[in-house]
Amino acid sequence: MTDFSFLADDALVDALIMEIAGLLRRLIEHGEAGIIDVLGLPLPPSCVASLEQRLGHGEVTVRLDAAGASEIRETGIPGVWWTRHSNEQGRLVAMLIEVTFVPEILKANIADVVRGAERLPALTNVALRARGADVALRARGAGRPHDAS
Amino acid sequence: MTLLAFARGPALQAAVLIMIAGICWRLAGIFLLRRRKRFALPRASVTGRIGGAFTTILTRFVPRRTFWPRIAVSVMLSGVFHIGLLIILLGGAPHIQVIHQVTGLTWPNLPKGLIVIVSGLTLASMIGLLIRRVLNPVLRLLSTVDDYLSWLLVFLPVLSGVLLSGETIGGYGTLLALHILSVELLMIWLPFGKLMHMLLVFAGRGAMGIDFARKGAAT
Amino acid sequence: MMHHKETLGTMLARCGFGRRGLLKFAIAMTSSLALPPSVAPVMAANLAKAKRRSVIWLSFQECTGCLETLLRSSSPTIDQLIFDFISLDYQESLMAAAGSAAEQTLREAMAANKGEYLLAIDGSIPVKDGGVYSLTGGRSNLSMLEEVAADAKAVLAIGTCAAYGGIPKAYPNPTGAVGVEDLVSNKPIVNIPGCPPVPEVLSGVLVHFISFGRLPELDDRKRPLAYFGTTIHDQCYRRPFYDQGKFAKSFDDDGARQGWCLFELGCKGPVTHNACASLKWNGGTSFPIEAGHGCIGCSEPDFWDAGGFYTSLAGGSATGWKSAGIAAAVGLAGGAAAALSTRIATPLEDAPASPPEKTPPEKTPPDKLP
Repeated sequence: MTDFSFLADDALVDALIMEIAGLLRRLIEHGEAGIIDVLGLPLPPSCVASLEQRLGHGEVTVRLDAAGASEIRETGIPGVWWTRHSNEQGRLVAMLIEVTFVPEILKANIADVVRGAERLPALTNVALRARGADVALRARGAGRPHDAS
Repeated sequence: MTLLAFARGPALQAAVLIMIAGICWRLAGIFLLRRRKRFALPRASVTGRIGGAFTTILTRFVPRRTFWPRIAVSVMLSGVFHIGLLIILLGGAPHIQVIHQVTGLTWPNLPKGLIVIVSGLTLASMIGLLIRRVLNPVLRLLSTVDDYLSWLLVFLPVLSGVLLSGETIGGYGTLLALHILSVELLMIWLPFGKLMHMLLVFAGRGAMGIDFARKGAAT
Repeated sequence: MMHHKETLGTMLARCGFGRRGLLKFAIAMTSSLALPPSVAPVMAANLAKAKRRSVIWLSFQECTGCLETLLRSSSPTIDQLIFDFISLDYQESLMAAAGSAAEQTLREAMAANKGEYLLAIDGSIPVKDGGVYSLTGGRSNLSMLEEVAADAKAVLAIGTCAAYGGIPKAYPNPTGAVGVEDLVSNKPIVNIPGCPPVPEVLSGVLVHFISFGRLPELDDRKRPLAYFGTTIHDQCYRRPFYDQGKFAKSFDDDGARQGWCLFELGCKGPVTHNACASLKWNGGTSFPIEAGHGCIGCSEPDFWDAGGFYTSLAGGSATGWKSAGIAAAVGLAGGAAAALSTRIATPLEDAPASPPEKTPPEKTPPDKLP
């Protein structure tokens, strides 16, 4: 039986790209962020892979360790981020396309900052450990990832 | 009890028992009637009584050439309907499953798409037959509740069945329950109305065949 | 047990989880609950601010499978924390107290959280003979339910037994078992059916309630739409085989080994609403159909009485040959009686006045006819 699924893939991927374009327009004009819940869409895995491939890789990849590992990667379209959240068991629990200047989860939360400020005096005599996020900057055509440890 | 559990349980049991009792009742009631005594000598028949019965059963399937222009439409509509129904019942996977459950026999099923097309043709032919019955003045005069009810009780299972297989309208569970219930209504009505022609057509043609093999026109 | 002053945010921070972890959890929950992803930050903020919600768990006519499944849930740690966090003030299997100390605990929990606690029930409630078939400390489940539900904010019926009566209700239901919704009418009820239910469903309902102060959207059987809105059939990975008509005919035959559809082996997937096919069990490991056994429809009412597990939906439980034989005999008798009465009633009109002659009269031989 002939497999016509590639046609469906194309149509779905095109529709999603148009939706991302719409969200990007809103970001530019009004500064409003937008999110697409990829796992919540009835997409075949091939379609998801096709979309990710088309959007490509950008300059920033972030690994987040909070209640399990997460990866937040800017795609080839600046402002369009591809996020994968996994739980402690390594199972994928959410996959998002975020259209924003910086994904909210990357920003330090004020409650956490306050708590950290309270803890800081106790750390002056020991090496500072980066908690919560390792930021690996991959500048274009230069540099190696460096750990702050 | 959910509707589906009712349809697949007590309703099914009741319908089957009523149908079996009803069929036996009617067949016994017909075959045990007094038969007209034949006092004329039988002619020398090649086929014998049983052969005569089977011959007539088969020959009556073929419409007579003289009547063909008048009966063409109704014969073709009726043929599409009956053959379509047979294909659906004997070729549809779930129906083969039911037969397998009862008898243990099984055979390969026809593709679902083909059954859906045949169902569409069957429904169309049924609507055609109904229109003909209503528009033809003689038929309209002759038609009783029995005719229309029998039509409805066959139409509903075919319609509900094709909707169920399409899985687009309504919930699967509800449609399945309605399909099974409509078949059960058909089963309950079957022995008591025109639908009994399913068995009696062969009895009737056979009886005529036996008579004519004995003495009379050889048709 | 009842540290109601501490918020979830504070408690999580104490255990080493910052707001990012909570936001991630909220993102996963909004996806699971089929809410718009933009709701996640709101949910996270609400969860951080939330105070411990008291939950009273009453176990009635049950096998404890529902409780076990929730304890064995390999949901992420934060889910476990949610369970630690909703102050589980009363649960007979888990609590240390027993006897009158346990009863005291229940009374105190009810008094301290009057009108605000969630009542979780697992197991059905027998009503026959005054409910004497299931007693706790000499007190019937029926009267316990009546009293504890009166001051509850909402009732969660966990498992098919609590939701619809389940296995105790199966024919002939000697104890008169019923589900919670047959007895409680003046409180919001959520049914979380399944035998046992998928653990993530309960955490989803609790998180929704804690975050937004109300229960998620329910269907006409009071089940959360997010998890029970589709059937197993709709989400099943073997669906292409169903559509192509490729069915396994027996367990372990060629078709079964190739993972063909289990419809003919009795799978009730098309009429069963649950999240097993998408969320799966044991943290997404597998579910019955993937293991090669058809769905038994355990989240639907009266699943135990819906005919055999191995009888396909196309078939049913019809009569045996004996009853068919009796029906045939009755029919024959009736028909014979009808025929006989007609024979008696009809005079012999066509009987000749005298019997025919033994030899027929002379006739022209056929070949001499013109």
